[in-house]
Amino acid sequence: MRTLSTIAGLAALALTVTACGGGATTLAEPSAGSGAPTAANTIVIGTANFTENVTLGHVYAGLLKSKGYEVTVKPNLGSREVIFPALQSGDIDMLPEYQGSLLLHLDKAGKAADGDAQAAELKAKLPAGLKLLPYAPAQDKTIWMVTRATADKHGLKSLDDLKKVTGQLVYGGPPEDKTRRIGLVGLKEVYGTEFKTFRALDAGGPLTKAALRKGDIDLANIFSSDAEISANDWVGLEDPQRLQPDENVAPLVREQKADAKLTAAMAELNAKLTTEELIKMNHKTDVEKEDPEDVANAWLKAVGLVS
Amino acid sequence: MGLLQQILGWFTQAGHWSGPEGLPVRLLEHLEYSLLSTVAAALIGLPIGLYIGHTGRGAFLAINLSGFGRALPTVGLVTLVFLVSGLSIWPVYVALVVLAVPAIVTNAYAGMAGVEPELRDAARGMGMTGWQRLWQVEVPVALPLILTGVRLAAVQVVATATIAAYVSFGGLGRYLFDGLAQRDLPQVLAGAIAVAVLAVVTDLCLAALQRTLLPRGLRLRRAAAT
Repeated sequence: MRTLSTIAGLAALALTVTACGGGATTLAEPSAGSGAPTAANTIVIGTANFTENVTLGHVYAGLLKSKGYEVTVKPNLGSREVIFPALQSGDIDMLPEYQGSLLLHLDKAGKAADGDAQAAELKAKLPAGLKLLPYAPAQDKTIWMVTRATADKHGLKSLDDLKKVTGQLVYGGPPEDKTRRIGLVGLKEVYGTEFKTFRALDAGGPLTKAALRKGDIDLANIFSSDAEISANDWVGLEDPQRLQPDENVAPLVREQKADAKLTAAMAELNAKLTTEELIKMNHKTDVEKEDPEDVANAWLKAVGLVS
Repeated sequence: MGLLQQILGWFTQAGHWSGPEGLPVRLLEHLEYSLLSTVAAALIGLPIGLYIGHTGRGAFLAINLSGFGRALPTVGLVTLVFLVSGLSIWPVYVALVVLAVPAIVTNAYAGMAGVEPELRDAARGMGMTGWQRLWQVEVPVALPLILTGVRLAAVQVVATATIAAYVSFGGLGRYLFDGLAQRDLPQVLAGAIAVAVLAVVTDLCLAALQRTLLPRGLRLRRAAAT
């Protein structure tokens, strides 16, 4: 999830560079570790500063409340760089993570591409005191997308096909794409494609989507769980060489909280949490502008996890 | 110390001084955005400020609208215009002009409002027309504040033109956005330093220009007052 870092960066920029406030979701400093031991049935859930993660935090919270936990949610804490220390110091106990990005965060050379391999590698690489619970089928990964018109015009189905139009397309993605493997570097290395130009926009956010919709860019980096994909009939290009690793949602928990009861509760959730369900929730929050907490609770009821 | 050296290292790397992503090109782009925005804002803001200062009409509306313009978050405005206009440089110019106009209007108005009533009366008594009073009496006397408004606006615009990079364009903001996204702190700080230096230099240059543009009579009056 590159949004973790990019959105925090943009929020910081909005404040520092342009001095123009509006930063409700800025990098909240984790308060100095209080270190106070918390009772076994209390859980503090933190989330990153983008809607999907906030919603997932509330999904965790709603489910755990129904199991008798006393839950506090601290939404919009910031990027992984901010949340990780908070988790280690015990300011929060749990957060919804994405396996692929988490692995790359802990080990830049992390190569595991599918969920099981990632979980195994993460188990070895997580700092002491933290535990990753089994992952859900739901994924939020970047997909390279073109409009239906572009796909038809050039006969594009997979990233391999980009060779046919090398040097012709305009590619728009977040600024880090310029230097990232899951970006320009990898597209060139693995799929041997070049672009007419690269436009540095945002990480699958409003700018990128508007530019793709208007045809200002031909190829864009969009998140698989984005509700606007189907609304616009955009076509995701297949990734046969697995340039983009899997990004399954998984709860990252402080080890002392990760008892059998919690693990069992999260396993129940995993049975229901698919990418399609994630898209549904994102549609409610992003398109219909509903409150993430309401959406989370309504979803828990709808799938029968909470009565 | 390590970070300072890294920043210094960034500036001394030859590759950062040439090519389409080098400092000279980025600096020129930044100056282009800033200059055009400030000139456009002056063309909009000065007539408004002078008009309400001269006639005394519409001050309430103009000052409040200016306050509104100042309060608008620039990044939000850029995003909003982008969603309408698509990928073009217009969102940047719109946002920068909206940012710059208030300082120019309010200062021009304040300068005009500060012209002593006796002076206006004397000019009227000498039989000067409205235009003559405006250009020969009021504007010269109000000039220090009018120019201060333009100078403030220019510095604000230079410091904010970094948002061009937010919508994929160039300028010094490219280093900030790219550096943040790529977790390249030296690049971010080098860009921030470059923007800060440019803003200070802009301020100093305009201050010097302001001194040379000051009418002789005002200079004498100031000297006499101190």
